[in-house]
Amino acid sequence: MSAVIDEGAVPTGTSGPPTPATLPRTWTLTWHGVRTVAELELRQRIRSTRWIVALVVWFVVVGAITGLVWLSTRNVLEPFTNGAQVRNLQGPIMFGLVVFFVLFLGLLVAPTLSATSINGDRSAGTLAILQVTLLSPFEIVLGKLLASWIAALAFLVVSVPFIGAALGAGGTPVLAMFVCLGVLALLLAAVCAIGLGFSALISRTSGSAVLTYITVASLSALSPIVFGLTYLTTTHDETVRVWTVPTGGWTGDTPPACVWEDQVQPVTHTERTWWLLGINPFVIVADAAPQPKPETPNAISGDPLGSIRTGVRSLRAGPAHEIDQCWSERAQSKDYVSPVAERDVDTSAVWPWGLGANLLLGAAGVWVAVRRLRIPQRTLARGTRVA
Amino acid sequence: MPAVAAILELDHGVDGGRSASRTADVDPRTRAPPGRTQSLHSVPARGGRVPPYVVDMTDGPGQDVPTDAHDGIAVRGLHRSFGAVHALAGVDLDARPGRVTALIGPNGSGKTTLLLVLAGLLVPDAGHVRVGGFDPVTDGARARARTGWMPDTFGTWDSLTAREVLLTFAAAYRMPRGAAEARVAELLETVHLSEFADRPASVLSRGQKQRLGLARALVHSPDVLLLDEPASGLDPRSRVDLRVLLRALAARGTTVLVSSHVLSELDELVDDAVFLSGGRTVTAGTLVAAESARRSWRVRALSLAALTAWLTSVGAVWHPDADDTPAPTGFGPPRPAPDGPGGVLVDIADEEGAARLVRDAVTAGVALTSIAPAGGALEQAYLALDEERR
Repeated sequence: MSAVIDEGAVPTGTSGPPTPATLPRTWTLTWHGVRTVAELELRQRIRSTRWIVALVVWFVVVGAITGLVWLSTRNVLEPFTNGAQVRNLQGPIMFGLVVFFVLFLGLLVAPTLSATSINGDRSAGTLAILQVTLLSPFEIVLGKLLASWIAALAFLVVSVPFIGAALGAGGTPVLAMFVCLGVLALLLAAVCAIGLGFSALISRTSGSAVLTYITVASLSALSPIVFGLTYLTTTHDETVRVWTVPTGGWTGDTPPACVWEDQVQPVTHTERTWWLLGINPFVIVADAAPQPKPETPNAISGDPLGSIRTGVRSLRAGPAHEIDQCWSERAQSKDYVSPVAERDVDTSAVWPWGLGANLLLGAAGVWVAVRRLRIPQRTLARGTRVA
Repeated sequence: MPAVAAILELDHGVDGGRSASRTADVDPRTRAPPGRTQSLHSVPARGGRVPPYVVDMTDGPGQDVPTDAHDGIAVRGLHRSFGAVHALAGVDLDARPGRVTALIGPNGSGKTTLLLVLAGLLVPDAGHVRVGGFDPVTDGARARARTGWMPDTFGTWDSLTAREVLLTFAAAYRMPRGAAEARVAELLETVHLSEFADRPASVLSRGQKQRLGLARALVHSPDVLLLDEPASGLDPRSRVDLRVLLRALAARGTTVLVSSHVLSELDELVDDAVFLSGGRTVTAGTLVAAESARRSWRVRALSLAALTAWLTSVGAVWHPDADDTPAPTGFGPPRPAPDGPGGVLVDIADEEGAARLVRDAVTAGVALTSIAPAGGALEQAYLALDEERR
């Protein structure tokens, strides 16, 4: 007992106030502070057995799906193609599906890692005692984000063998694995940050978890649905120039030469709505993955990531104003040269915008969380206790 | 608004004998009745001490800024509402370095809210606060660096060991690692958790967690210690340890503010007491009324019948002592025979009255065995306030 009282070994308040440099403000950021919080969170999390169970379940599920994809793609493709083509088709399909499945599971798991982090601590009575220390709100939030992100990355690491196996099936550049893992990691960080924001905003843990899931579902499932629903509202009848067989038909055996005609056709302006797909995590991953090199010019593209990439980029370009519908001449002659210039579709990447949007949402989550952790508090959320 | 903070000074020098209040002891010189050791005085006290028995009704320090700046806790005119609920509606308080100050009040009187403001978690609506010499609102980090706070309910990280919890908080207070490890080992020793140092906190009992929470509040050697119900869940041994620890911290110059319901605990611990009721520190007027209220004394004699007969004959107001003669419910010890030894509660105005009662009773041949104030000083004052409130 007396040891505490008599010992002056520890810096005390009486030995002078801490230097101003160590005094935190709201946005003070030190690695020491972030690490302290992250270590606390990870220690608390890793030692629970649930964690190991979750990783094992994840490993088994992703492994099972990879095996199933491999078996089914081989069975479907084998009757139609020879061995080399199977490799070219099966590899990219496997890679795409496994990466999508990992992303899907990641989007399911990531919210649970962070969406109850702050309000859960508040109801457990462990938040306020951390807030009154010399950790800044920014350090507490980033520490929690780092901890949940590291946990999410653990799931990604467990998936690496299976993504590697899909890579081994051929047809996919090795770079694709690293790019996809990198984009997956950043997307999961954004989801963790969004969850953190909701957990600071909502007092009930169930409420913040639900809102985080709704946000993730909006990004990944709702956005394509809304895109589909807006498809009709962006479709209008417009006059377009068409290179076509003259209206009125023909009498002889051979169709007349094609001419330019102005026709009124329904035109869909997807250049106004493509971003609904652009913010979709699956589209982001697909767009970011490097294009597999076709081994033969006429190789059938079975790459799901590539199809999505091509699709979203042409949707972004919107409708063409000149259309070649001169099917007759095209069919007759191999030397047919279309007068409609090859569409110069903007092939610049979509994913930086989508990833940026997701990361921006994550940054908003962090900002909200930091604002809510500032002390002393002026207002209290309804139904919350400070401590 | 009356400027006098409601501070009830319990003189420890005189108080020494109070722990023996249950023993047969009728000599008023050896044991000053606590009822009179409570004295109202204005805020500046400890330097030139206001002697007990003096009711000082002069105005305290100015309302705006504490004129007698000290590095303890100074609160003036504190208000804080949560919507329509006025949790704090005018609190004036001084807790000085080197003293243990009790914060006493019924449930919902605003004790916890006050401690949250002092800990730097809540912005007051109005009023001035200084903790450790700094304003927790405008100079929060500086104030928090000097403040140790133990909330009434707090959680722990079940998977972490006691040592890890304390090391984490030492790191959170930006203590150097080496100093932190020494300090943590020391604190674990202090709260008798050394043998649990490397076991997960989930195996700790409620009282042990409470002790860990106390160690956590002390990890950065704060100048100001805010404890919300620190004794709840502690076994008697730990309560004694807590008392010794807090007295030792105070002796070293720490400002200690303790909120508790266990008034008998506080009686032996605190130097000053602040009463909180309905979000206000109870004003001087109210306390004077409480002071002057007649107080119950427990009087025992060899013959209960002789005692009651004599009391009735001299016109004293007395009540049966519920503690002494339990209701005949069929449980507990049988009711004492009417002519056996027993005690009653007698309303006596002051110490002189008590002395007179002893003298007269002895003169009248009533064989007194003991006379003592019923309940602790704080309890009596508290109950008096409670009645006042109704």
